[in-house]
Amino acid sequence: MARGDTEFAEFARVASGRLVHAAFLMTGDHHQAEDAAQTALVRTYAAWSRVRDDDAYGYARTVLVNHLVDGWRRPIREYPSDDIPEQRRGDVADEVTTRRWLLGVLGALSPRERAIVVLRYYFDLPEAQVARELDVSLGTVKSTSSRALEKLRTAGGQPQTVEGRRR
Amino acid sequence: MNEVERLRAAMRATEPDLWESLDLDAVMRQGRSLRRRRRAAAGGAVVLSAALVVVGVTVGVRFARPPGQLPPPAPAVSAPTTSAPVTSTPIPGTESRKPIGEVVSSGIRYGTEERVFYFVPVDLPAVPDVTIGLVAGRRLADGTLIADYLVNDVAGSDRRPGFHEIGYESSPAAPTYAPVPTFGYFVGPADGIIGTVDGRRVTARLARWSMDTDVVIFWFDPQTVKPGRRLDGISARDTQGRPL
Repeated sequence: MARGDTEFAEFARVASGRLVHAAFLMTGDHHQAEDAAQTALVRTYAAWSRVRDDDAYGYARTVLVNHLVDGWRRPIREYPSDDIPEQRRGDVADEVTTRRWLLGVLGALSPRERAIVVLRYYFDLPEAQVARELDVSLGTVKSTSSRALEKLRTAGGQPQTVEGRRR
Repeated sequence: MNEVERLRAAMRATEPDLWESLDLDAVMRQGRSLRRRRRAAAGGAVVLSAALVVVGVTVGVRFARPPGQLPPPAPAVSAPTTSAPVTSTPIPGTESRKPIGEVVSSGIRYGTEERVFYFVPVDLPAVPDVTIGLVAGRRLADGTLIADYLVNDVAGSDRRPGFHEIGYESSPAAPTYAPVPTFGYFVGPADGIIGTVDGRRVTARLARWSMDTDVVIFWFDPQTVKPGRRLDGISARDTQGRPL
């Protein structure tokens, strides 16, 4: 395997979990999430010689988000909150509870609000960068983010068991 | 813990360590194929491989989904009807495939060149009911056609009623000399096509395909919809203004 391919393989292995999870958070659909993550990786590999020394992860994330934003024009599917994938780590009950809560609160948001929440609070991007990646104004990010958080406040409650990341 | 911290913790607590079903071989195989297509597109030729389901020479890759997972887009948007632009006769040029039917003139110009749209044959053995793809190309002053961007369906039928794949400029952050307007086609008696962007309703320009008048080619004026900007929604209306 060429050096560039080896580097990409390692990148894909490390980045793929976060990409597919981010897509799942934005869509609530495992199939669509894996589809989006695969598209992001395919396009990142296609551009690997250009992005490998720059910000490959950022490139993949942008492709992923654009791919999903493109899907906003399609009818919004009901959030499949009962669709609980198999868990691999311990504390399965905790994770199921957390996931149900998360899907419930994200399901109350519009696709744009979900995208902003995921970019802002999962990828931890600054508001200005979220605006650039979604091609919206900074004001739209601020107001949408505020509305989304208000929805979480009023409708979300909180998971009973999760207080942080278990790693 | 406030709601932001709870949300952040929950999103990370449910994150998998790895994507176990990642098919790296498939990713790299499709990535190599996409790279070849981009190079071919940069050279002005349109090349389609039978083995890969591709949407757009220069942008995206879509993968076949189970039936029912690729519904036609139809957000509720009310809108007025649109005007129809002119069409022109096909002019042979360096386009490697002979356009099917008339080449549609958009009226969008880049110096002496003009943005045009036309269908070309595509061959996807795994999807036998997809035989055409829509090209956003340029017609040079001498009549030569240059293919910039091709979109084609990757599942079902290319004549399925409703919207089909939509093409977007692939480099919105670094505008090219001739950015591709957002474009696509709709099958059905559409008299108006309306997109939504940031809450704005934007009207597409339309042209019926000379080979099948059920096929309506549409595009958005780049002054109205920035090339590369994703639509939030799109809908079609009949002559009575009723949603299709």
